[in-house]
Amino acid sequence: MKKALITGITGQDGFYLAELLLGKGYEVHGLRRRSASHNTARIDHICDLANPGASKVKLHYGDLTDSTNLTRVISEIKPDEIYNLGAQSHVAVSFDAPEYTADCDGLGTMRILESVRLLGLAKKTRIYQASTSELYGKVREIPQSEKTPFHPRSPYGVAKMYAYWITVNYRESYDMFACNGILFNHESPLRGEEFVTRKITRALGRILLGVQPCLYLGNMNALRDWGHARDYVRAMWLILQQKRPDDFVIATGKQYSVRRFVEMAAGEIGVRLAWKGKGPAEAGVVKSVEPVDGVDPRDIKIKKGDTIVRVDPRFYRPAEVETLLGDPSKSRKVLGWKPEISTDMLAAEMAASDLRLALSEMHLRRGGYAALKNC
Amino acid sequence: MKKALITGYRGQDGAYLSRLLLEKGYEVYGTDVPGDAGVWRLRELGIEGKVKEVRLDLMDEPGIRSALEAVRPDEIYNFAAQSFVLTSFTHPVLTAEINAVGVARLLESVRKVVPEARFFQASTAELFGSVGNAQKNETTDFHPKSPYAVSKLYAHWITVNYRQAHKMYACNGILFNHESPLRGEQFVTRKIAAAVARISRGLQEKVAVGNLDALRDWGYAKEYVEGMWSMLQQPEPDDYILATGEVHSVREFISGAFSAAGIKLEWRGGGLSEKGVAASSGKTLVEISEEFYRPADVKELVGDAGKARRVLGWEARTKFEELTRIMIEAELARLDGKKVQL
Repeated sequence: MKKALITGITGQDGFYLAELLLGKGYEVHGLRRRSASHNTARIDHICDLANPGASKVKLHYGDLTDSTNLTRVISEIKPDEIYNLGAQSHVAVSFDAPEYTADCDGLGTMRILESVRLLGLAKKTRIYQASTSELYGKVREIPQSEKTPFHPRSPYGVAKMYAYWITVNYRESYDMFACNGILFNHESPLRGEEFVTRKITRALGRILLGVQPCLYLGNMNALRDWGHARDYVRAMWLILQQKRPDDFVIATGKQYSVRRFVEMAAGEIGVRLAWKGKGPAEAGVVKSVEPVDGVDPRDIKIKKGDTIVRVDPRFYRPAEVETLLGDPSKSRKVLGWKPEISTDMLAAEMAASDLRLALSEMHLRRGGYAALKNC
Repeated sequence: MKKALITGYRGQDGAYLSRLLLEKGYEVYGTDVPGDAGVWRLRELGIEGKVKEVRLDLMDEPGIRSALEAVRPDEIYNFAAQSFVLTSFTHPVLTAEINAVGVARLLESVRKVVPEARFFQASTAELFGSVGNAQKNETTDFHPKSPYAVSKLYAHWITVNYRQAHKMYACNGILFNHESPLRGEQFVTRKIAAAVARISRGLQEKVAVGNLDALRDWGYAKEYVEGMWSMLQQPEPDDYILATGEVHSVREFISGAFSAAGIKLEWRGGGLSEKGVAASSGKTLVEISEEFYRPADVKELVGDAGKARRVLGWEARTKFEELTRIMIEAELARLDGKKVQL
C-alpha cells in the first residue's frame, strides 16, 4: 500500500486530495497544526479524532516552520509521496505578515525537501509542491505557460517563488522526484471564506435571506482563471505518477472578471444584477429576483433596486494582479489532464451550497432569537 | 550630513563602500557579526574606527527596528548575507533565514521606521544560473542553481515588491562577480591570488581548485560600490546590472595570476586529473579537487551593464588582466609587510 503525507490537510485541497488518495487505496497521513480552535472541520468524516487507530486519515501534529518536527514525522511515515499544500495562503494577509509567510511558504518547502534528502529518502519519496499562478503576478505574456517568466506582486508570491525554485533546485542538484504544479485559482464549496469566490457565494446566500445586507469587494476588474479543486487535485496526483519529474501549469484556459463571477453565482440563486457607477463608487443593484428551489418566497428579503454589492477600497491590494490566464496545454498533452467542471458550474455549485448554509443560519438565528426571548 | 547604514560593513563591499561614503562626507553606521572579523579590511583601507558600529542582526526584527530608530539613516545598503554558494547546499535553512527572510524583516522595518530611506539590496548574477551564452541584462529570466541563489532571488523580488507595493525607494544591484584584494580567502580569486603569491615566495607548494572551466564576468569591487551609491541618487528607484561584459575562465585567472607573479604555468592532462605545472621546473602547482565542485554549477555568467552606463553613467574601468595584477601585487605586498594599494 502506498503511503502519502499531505501538509495542509485541513484545507480545501487537502480534503479533496485525501479523498482521492483514499479512493486509490493509499494510506493517507496528514500534518495538522495545533490550534486553539477546531481546524479539522473539512475532514471530520475521514478522521476519527476520538479513535485515531480507526481513523482513515492519520493526523500528525506538525508545523512547516519546525524542521525537527518535519524530520520526525517524515522519518516515521517514510511516505512514497508528499504533497506540500500547507501554506499561509492568503495574498492580502501576506502584506501584513511577510516574515511568517516567507518562513512557512518558502522555507517550509525547503525544510521538507531537506528532511527527505537527509533521511536518505531522496530516491523513494516523490514531492509535490503547490505552486501558484500568483508567481506570474504582473504578467509578462498572456496566457501564462510553464515558460512564462515570473513577476510576483506580493510577499505571498515572492515566498511561493522561493518554494518553486528550491523545488527545482533539489530536483536538479540531487536528482529528486520533486515537482511544481503551478495551479491557477481553484475553488469549491470548501474554499476558505476569506477568498473572494467563497466570500461572494457566502454573502449572496445570506443577502438573499436578509442575514447580511451587502457584499463588499475590492478590485472587481481582476481577471482570473477559476477551476474546481476536485479537478485540480487529480492533476497533483498525476504529476507524481509520471516517468520524469517536471513542472506543470494547471488551469482551465478561460478567464472571467470578479464581477462576472458575482453574476454567475447570483444567477444560480435567481438574482440578476445591474452595475452602476465606476471605480470605488461601483455598485451592484438588483434587477430582478426569481423564486429559488428550496427557499420559501417569504424568506427572500431583497427586491428590485436594492444595492447588494459595493466596493470597499480596503480590499484593494497594495500591488494588484490584474489578469491571470493559464495555458494548460502541457498538462493536457503529458498528463492527459483536463478540467471537467467549468467556471459556470463551479459558481453554481458554490452558490447552491452556500444558499443551504445561509438557510440553516437563518433558521438558527430565528430559533436562537426566540429561545433567547423565552428564557 | 547624510547618514548611511551598511549591513555587513566589514565585508569586501561594505568596507569599500564605507570608505567611499566617508570620503563623500556621510556619517557612516555599520553592522556586522560580533567580534573583529573583517576589521583588517578597515585597517588596510585606513578607516578603522571611523564607521560607527551598531548592533543589528537580520534574524532579529525588533533589534532591526531599534537600530533603525537609533540611526534614522537616509540610505541603507544591505550586504549582510551567508554569501558562500557551497555552504548553502549544506546549510540551506540558515542561508534562507539570513539572505531571504532577513531582507523581508529589514524592508518591513524600514517601511515602519524610516519609509523615506533609500534602500540598496545586493543582488547577484547567480540569480541567472546558466541559461544560454547570451549576456544577461535586467530583463533576462532567472534560473537559480543553488540554495544561495534561490534565497537571493527571494530577496531580489521582495525588494521589487516593496518598491511597487509600498512606493519605497528600493533598488537591486545585480552584481556580477567583483573581486579585490579585500575578498575573503574562501572565494576563488582571492584564494588563488594568495596561494600564487605564497607559491612564488616558496611558502606554499601548490593549490587545489574546483571547476577550471567556470566562466565568470569579473570586475573590481572598488568600482562596483560607486555604482551602488549611484543607484540611490537617481530620481526614480530601479534595478541595475553591474558587470564588465567580459568573460574569463578560472583557468585564465590562475594563469594570469602566476604570470603576474613571474611564473609561467602550463596545463597538462584533463578532467579531474588536469594539473597546472611550472613551465620551468615541471613542478605541479595547481590540482583539481572535487571538494570544490558544486552539486549544480553555473557554467557561464556574463553581464550587460548597458543600462547602468546609460542611466548612472557607470562603467567598469578595471578589466580582467589589471584586476589579476592588482590582486597579486596586493598579496605580495602583504607578504613583504608593505602597504597594500586599494
